[in-house]
Amino acid sequence: MYFAGVDIGSTMTKVVLLDKAGNSLSFIKGPTGPEHRQLANQVMQQALEQASLQIDDISYIVATGYGRLNVPFADRQITELSCHARGVSILFPNTRTAIDIGGQDAKCMRIDNGRLVNFVMNDKCAAGTGRFLEVTAAALDIKLEDMGDTSLKATKKIQISNLCTIFAQQEVVALISRGEKLENIVAGLHDALASRVAALARRLGIEPDLVLTGGVAKNTGMVKAMKESLGCELFVPEEPLLTGALGAAILAKETYLKAVAQGEALPTKSRRLEKATFFS
Amino acid sequence: MSDKSKGLSKAREIYLDSSRRPRELKAAGKKIIGYPCVYVPLEMLTALDLVPYQTCADIKEPVTEADRALPHSFCPIMRNCLDCALKGKNDFLDGMITIHSCDPQEKTARVWESYTHYPYFHFIDMPITVRPEALEYFKGQLNDFRKTLETFTGKKSSTDKLEAAIKSHNQQRALVRELYELTKSSPPLISGTEIVQVVKALTSLPVVEGNDLLTEVISEVKNRTAGPEKKSARLLIWSSILDDTDIMQVFETKANVVMNESCGGIRAYRAGVKFTADPLEGLADYYLNEITCARTFRQATLGETRKDYARDLQSRFGYLKGIIKEWTINGVIMLLVRYCDPFAFEIPSLKDYFESLGVPSTYIEYDYTTGALAPLRTRVEAFVETISQ
Repeated sequence: MYFAGVDIGSTMTKVVLLDKAGNSLSFIKGPTGPEHRQLANQVMQQALEQASLQIDDISYIVATGYGRLNVPFADRQITELSCHARGVSILFPNTRTAIDIGGQDAKCMRIDNGRLVNFVMNDKCAAGTGRFLEVTAAALDIKLEDMGDTSLKATKKIQISNLCTIFAQQEVVALISRGEKLENIVAGLHDALASRVAALARRLGIEPDLVLTGGVAKNTGMVKAMKESLGCELFVPEEPLLTGALGAAILAKETYLKAVAQGEALPTKSRRLEKATFFS
Repeated sequence: MSDKSKGLSKAREIYLDSSRRPRELKAAGKKIIGYPCVYVPLEMLTALDLVPYQTCADIKEPVTEADRALPHSFCPIMRNCLDCALKGKNDFLDGMITIHSCDPQEKTARVWESYTHYPYFHFIDMPITVRPEALEYFKGQLNDFRKTLETFTGKKSSTDKLEAAIKSHNQQRALVRELYELTKSSPPLISGTEIVQVVKALTSLPVVEGNDLLTEVISEVKNRTAGPEKKSARLLIWSSILDDTDIMQVFETKANVVMNESCGGIRAYRAGVKFTADPLEGLADYYLNEITCARTFRQATLGETRKDYARDLQSRFGYLKGIIKEWTINGVIMLLVRYCDPFAFEIPSLKDYFESLGVPSTYIEYDYTTGALAPLRTRVEAFVETISQ
């Protein structure tokens, strides 16, 4: 008896496979890209190969993330908010607040007894998301993965006044031409993003324990900036990208076992791994 | 529309091609008058045999032409509505009535006049408070409105004609309320999406035809066997305007929307016009006091919001308490269209009010584009998940 969670985010696709005891058998991350949103089957195939399983071995599959509707073999769709809340709570059982900063959105979640009870998300634009760092990294001509470490070398605080991703890019260019040090600018960008997300979280009310997830949580500079902005300690999972897929797999397991316990027949989808088509 | 279609299928056809019937009526010699907001007293048009037609926005239409006339950071619904007009979609209109219901309506009034070429134009200056002096002023405004209509049509707007029109429109309001009675059961007998089609159809039909349509729909819905499925939540949507099935579908994928408190739902139909010696008195009272749009400033005691906050909330939002109980609503979504200041300012107090009633609520902001529907879906579904665990 095995369970799968498939999280198709705007930037990355993640799959987690669990056994009945809840042990993680495999996990896969790959870029979502314009094509991949239709190719969830390939990422799933890789995860199955890693765990030496066949698709028919999977009892129940939950899809989540922006692309959750594009997973033809998933039995149920659950939003990434509920999945993240569940996944984070498995890793840190005392979580009351979780913040997830992804490629295209930032979400703050309030959690009670491992369940999502309330949430806020950023507005549609890229301010307050991972894209903010991606775009400004390009303007500074440094690698996204080097941003965090660079920010930690800062010698003074620089205020980036514009939270709009596009205008912040202009501001960065102006700072460079003024001769400002790269590490100070990068630290300023981290602070700007952190203060934006912290304001979002305060709208919801912050209660400890607090966990930070999403691709941005892999950035050490960002973790530091978030701690400063929020004024409290925060936990980061070892694999901060995977909490959504993990939560989806946990919810798949819970849904399935509950139905079995109640003697209900649970409808499942065809287990053929095929490409999603539009209008399906 | 095919002559055979009736009830819900007829409503859907009119919803999908809302200008078809007005165009037919125009060809038959009727005059069609546009209005952008439910605050315009339609009885005064009906009394003179004019056909009211609500000019509306189309979420699928990218705004291009309206950029000539309006700034970007402006009510996307008004921008879109004007854009449709500038693209000639309302070229059959004989006139247009604008009204100071909210600032975007007032600011676009001049733009409508400058950029379109309908023979008749009138602007109603609607007061923003419900003070007795405001009511008097509004009555005077409706009197002016009556005069320009009489000049335009060359006909007299008599008390008898106005009373007959009020009767027909009151009947329409009663029928819409009867339609909403059908969402009280679980599952509801009619979906929120179907109601959007019916209510939108009403805004492009003469009142008598609208009433016939409502009668057909109610009878069809009561007698059909296959209605909406039961979903995991019964929602109330509170919004400025929600009159589009694509948007409503975002909510109805995972929930039953049993009440749409917006201009695409029950808002314009929740009460009736009182019969008064001067019909304009009853009309002024109804349109100023009974339509619960956030544009109107209401207070339990004038100048005293702080005195008794709970009583103030009750006087502003009390009508929602009965709705939540009678329709057994277990979740409320306050749907905010970006840049809609009047509705945005209501949200903190309204949220407090829903909390005091013990019903979960959330507010979601979206801009009026199809691209905004995917993020909207995630927020709506996550909210439904939190209330139906």
